[in-house]
Order: sequence, then structure tokens, then C-alpha cells
Amino acid sequence: MDGFFIIVIVFLLLNIALGLFRVWRGPTVADRLLTTQLFGTTGMAILLVLAGYLKDLTLLNVAITFNVLAILLVIGLVQVWKKKKGETP
Amino acid sequence: MMIKEVITVILLVVGCFFFLAGTLGVLRFPDLFSRLHALTKADNLGLGFIAAGMALHIGSPWAVLKIFSIWFFTLLASSTSCYLIARFQKEKDQARNRKEEG
Amino acid sequence: MSIMIDIILAVLAIYLALQCLFAPRLTQTVFLFFAFGLALALAWVRLGAVDVAITEAAIASGFLGVLFLDALRDFSLAPPLKWDNLEVVHSSLATKNPKSLFLPRLALMLGLGLFLLIALEAVWKIPEGGGLTAAAEALLPESGVEHPVTAVLLNFRAYDTWLELGVILLGLLATFAVGGIKIYRKPPVVADDILLRQVILFFTPVLFLFGAFLLYFGKSGPGGAFQAAVLWGAIGILLHLGGRPVFSMIPRWLGQLSLTVGLGFFLILGFFLLAGGATLFEYPPAYAGVLILIIETLAAISIAAALTAIFANLNQMNKEESNQIESTN
Repeated sequence: MDGFFIIVIVFLLLNIALGLFRVWRGPTVADRLLTTQLFGTTGMAILLVLAGYLKDLTLLNVAITFNVLAILLVIGLVQVWKKKKGETP
Repeated sequence: MMIKEVITVILLVVGCFFFLAGTLGVLRFPDLFSRLHALTKADNLGLGFIAAGMALHIGSPWAVLKIFSIWFFTLLASSTSCYLIARFQKEKDQARNRKEEG
Repeated sequence: MSIMIDIILAVLAIYLALQCLFAPRLTQTVFLFFAFGLALALAWVRLGAVDVAITEAAIASGFLGVLFLDALRDFSLAPPLKWDNLEVVHSSLATKNPKSLFLPRLALMLGLGLFLLIALEAVWKIPEGGGLTAAAEALLPESGVEHPVTAVLLNFRAYDTWLELGVILLGLLATFAVGGIKIYRKPPVVADDILLRQVILFFTPVLFLFGAFLLYFGKSGPGGAFQAAVLWGAIGILLHLGGRPVFSMIPRWLGQLSLTVGLGFFLILGFFLLAGGATLFEYPPAYAGVLILIIETLAAISIAAALTAIFANLNQMNKEESNQIESTN
């Protein structure tokens, strides 16, 4: 079972590494931001599997921390970058 | 015991498949709005299956409650953030189009 | 077998750190930094430091995230550089002659080399038994808490934690010095979208409850004042982004009180302990648990208020400046 968990974790980590290409390339800020959201979700999944693999339930708290703060970045982007009248983009 | 482990393995593999699909979609889809579609698949289904598998494996009630609250918050946050990102990009595009026309 | 996870994490963390420094565009740097924070949090988990992982997760993906997005917008609005002016400024500087750069570079390299040597020597000399872990574990029953990290942070080395609160307050004062207090009172953009308002309304109590849970859980496991403070600070930032700036809505004295209460309670407590004949921050063992909980709560309130105020300050400052740029265009 432990070997299988390691394979899952490695697979998800490779997913993150693959997604870096979109952060690098992504033409707009929104593209890069949504890739970061995907990384956050993948990180949560990795933490859940790690919690089962290491048998350490406090790791769930790390996952919840990522979880409740994920929305902050999006609201930050939308509200901070909000256009005002007559502003040049 | 065996059946429980087999179900865990199946759930984790399905979750991994959705994560791979989400990542490939984010990489390969042509524009932002279709990439958002790929992102929600990974958020809702990928994390959902992995959370279900790990909840089955860990099994203690407090941890199961936490894992499902993680999934619930992610559902809420990801659907809202998709809408917000899409609206943000749409407003930006419209402003640019108006500028080109005018 | 599990070494594979560690290898991938190490490669990913180092690669992302290098990319953060050398990526050609600022946007790439900022978003690669978030991925770097994620890799770092996972690495801390693998190293067994869950406390640090929670802090890294909270700060890198929450607080620094919105600060960086704010700064990024500021840069994207800045007018293009005027090369003529730049030439004038450049030629008036003393660094025109490339030879004059040789000595500072040599000094910098020597200093860095010396620092690296000292760091290497310090790492080399760590005793076999893992440093002070055994000493901390032995004194744990007297500290009033069950988690060694919290015991070290708030009991054995409480002096350091007290000064850290001061450092955060100094950071806030620095933003005052740059931005000025008059901007601090202006209302920000109001959230016009109903979904945005509802999601802020939903996540505010969730953030508060989870922060309080982490604060109390710090007694017996990974968690504590700093982690809770970032989550509570995120509440302030969310409300600010949603058009409800906390510091403009509460009376001024309440804001000032919440900013200084952590530092102040520590100070008063230390004073009374000194007056009672003990050394600074030597809690009586019978009350240590309760005292640590009170200190942690007040410190968390203080840090959360400081983080909110820093973000509010910088955000409003950017708005003011971009308005000026607009009017000059």
C-alpha cells in the first residue's frame, strides 16, 4: 500500500512540474493565476495522500490552510486589478 | 480488508486520471475559457476521488470530517474563482475591443 | 523508495528558486514564486516540520500572494521609462567608470565567501544528538504546553517572540513612512458583484474558526499564534477587498489598541514578573498554560491587525499613485 501511495505522490508532483510550462508561457495574468489554482489543488491532494502515507493527521491542517486561502488570490486579482474609468490598460 | 484497499486504489487512480486530464487541458487548450473548464475538472472530480480514497483509508471520524470539509471548500472556492476569473478576463477583452473600434 | 519524492521535491524547489531570480518577466517571477512556496511547504512536511509548513502555506499562498498582485499591478501601470532622463541620471552617477566597480565586487565576494565558510563550519559542528531537542523535551512538563515547538517559542525563548512582534510593528511603521496616514483613511473599491460578496461572507467565519482552532491546537500539536494570525489577517484583507476596510470602520483607538496589544501585554507581563523577583518571562509553572494561551491570542490579534494594515496601506497607496499617473498622461 505504501509503495502505491508513493507512486501517486510522485505522479501528482510530476503533474505540477508539467503545469509549470503554462505559468511560464501563459499569455495573460489570468492564465497564470488559474494554473496556480491548479497547483494549489494538486498540493492539497498530495498532502492528503502524504497524511495517509506518513500516518500523520496534522498534515490535514496544512491542506486546510491552503484550502481556505486559495480564494484570497483570486479575489485579490479581481479587486486589485479592477479597471477604473479612463485608465489605460 | 482486501476489498477496502482495492476500492482505495481504484479511487486514487481515478483521481490521478482527472488531475492528469486537468493538467493536460491547462497545457493544451487554446484559450483561457476552455482552460478554466479543464481546471474545474481537476478541482471537483480529481480532488473529490482522492479525498474519498484517503477518507476510506484513514477512517477515523474526525479526519473524515476534515477531509470532506476540504473537498466542500474547494468546490465552493473553485467554482466561484472560475466565475471571477472568467468575468475579469471578459471585461478586459471588452475594454480592449472598444478601444480598437473607437 | 520514498527517496524519489524527496529528489523530485528538491529538484523542483531549487529549479523554481533559480527561475524566480532569473525569469525574464516580472509576472512569471511572481507566479513561479507561488509554485515555489507550494514546493517549499511540501518539503517542510517531508522534513517533519509541520509548524513551518503551515506558516509557509499561509504566508506564501495568502498574504504574500495579494501583496505581490498589488505590486504587480503597480508596475504594469507605471509609465514606460524615458531613456533620455535615464541617460542623464546615469551619467551623473559615479559608476560611469567600470573600473570603479571592481573593488565593491571583490569586497562583496569576499564577504559572501566568509559567510558561507562560517555557515559551513556551524553546520559541521552540530553535535550528534540533534542539538537542544533533548533539553527542550526534558523541560516540557514545566512549560505548560505539550508541543515542544510552542514551548520553545512562547516559554523558553519568549524574548525572541516578543521582539518578533516588534519587528512586524516596525514593518507597518515603514509603510506609514512611505504612504502617509492621510491615504490610510480613504475607502477602497466596493465589491459590486453579488457572488463575490457572498463568498467573502462565507469564508470570513471559516477563516476565523480555523484560525482559532490552530491557535488552541498549538498547545498540543503543530499550530500556534503566527499561523492563526495569518488566517485572521486574511479576514481583514478579504473585507478590505470587498469594500469594508476594517480600520476605517472601527474607532481609531480600537485599531491602535489591536495593533499594540500583543507587544504591550508581553511588556507588562515581563515587568510584573521582574517586580515579583523572577527573571524576564519566567512564568510560574502553575499558570504557564493559561498565560501562554492569553499571550498567543493577543499576539495573534496584534499580528493579524498589522498584516491587514500593511495590505490596506500599500493597496491604497498604489491607487493614489496610479491616479496621479493617469492624470499626468
